[in-house]
Amino acid sequence: MAQTIIGQGLTIEGEITSDDEVTVAGTVRGRLVSEGAVAVDAGAVIEADVRAGALSVAGSVTGNVTATDRVDLLAGGRLVGDVRTARITIQDGASFKGNVDMDV
Amino acid sequence: MSSLSVIGPGTAIVGGIRGSGDIEIQGRVEGSVVVEGEVVIAETALIKSDVRARRVIVRGAVRGSVSADELLILEAGARVLGDLGAPQVGIRPGGLVRGHVSTAGPLPLEKPKAAPAQAAKAPPARAATPARPATPAARPAPPPARPATPAARPVPPPPPSVERTEPAYVARPAAPAPAPAQAVVHEEPVADEPPPPVVPAMPKGARASSRKRK
Repeated sequence: MAQTIIGQGLTIEGEITSDDEVTVAGTVRGRLVSEGAVAVDAGAVIEADVRAGALSVAGSVTGNVTATDRVDLLAGGRLVGDVRTARITIQDGASFKGNVDMDV
Repeated sequence: MSSLSVIGPGTAIVGGIRGSGDIEIQGRVEGSVVVEGEVVIAETALIKSDVRARRVIVRGAVRGSVSADELLILEAGARVLGDLGAPQVGIRPGGLVRGHVSTAGPLPLEKPKAAPAQAAKAPPARAATPARPATPAARPAPPPARPATPAARPVPPPPPSVERTEPAYVARPAAPAPAPAQAVVHEEPVADEPPPPVVPAMPKGARASSRKRK
């Protein structure tokens, strides 16, 4: 229950800071920082820099992404921006434009 | 189609929340909340903004006015520092309000009020930022700025301008010059390092801005 859901139809402009899991189905502009997992559902629009523990993208993300654990770009997902993470997966059908920086 | 949104207890949002659908706020929000739907403000919530929705149920803390198009209920534990406005207002035992309560409908001018208020706040902040750089600049480069100001004030005695310190001292007692001027001149001969000159340099812009900040 301890989680945050930005529902469809909801727009947040500003900075979101969270210790919880964050699920976005709406629109976020600004900045999104979470200690936990961030899930961007299909139909969601994020125009923000994202910093998270883990990030899964099925919607649209425009902005630089930093994930301490992993980034999963799912089919239908769209990510434009640089990614810095330890692990990344990009499914068939996903769109991605940007640089990936992994600690090798 | 109304979707449920939840702002969890560990989540803080600085900025505006708007849109359709229902939303339950358990965390912190600073900015604005304008939703076409039902807003539930949970016990753990701390909201520093105006809230506007079709229906609002408050169980937590709100600092700002709360307005509903349909129904507004303050449950036990609700703490509102601000005005309430809705066609139907319910305050259960244990709900606290400090502000104006109106059952004449949603607070009408809330949006216009909020906009100018934000605008008013914003300009001072912007003005403050340029003002700050100006004062620091004055500190490092005190010699030019300070001589200029004293010279401007004792304009009448321009001929003795060659001897800055002496005429300046004469001019001070003669004119009802404020303390700042004296302080400025005194410091000049000694050294430009001490901060006191900053005080006269600050008053008009800086004091006002500092008050506004508070």
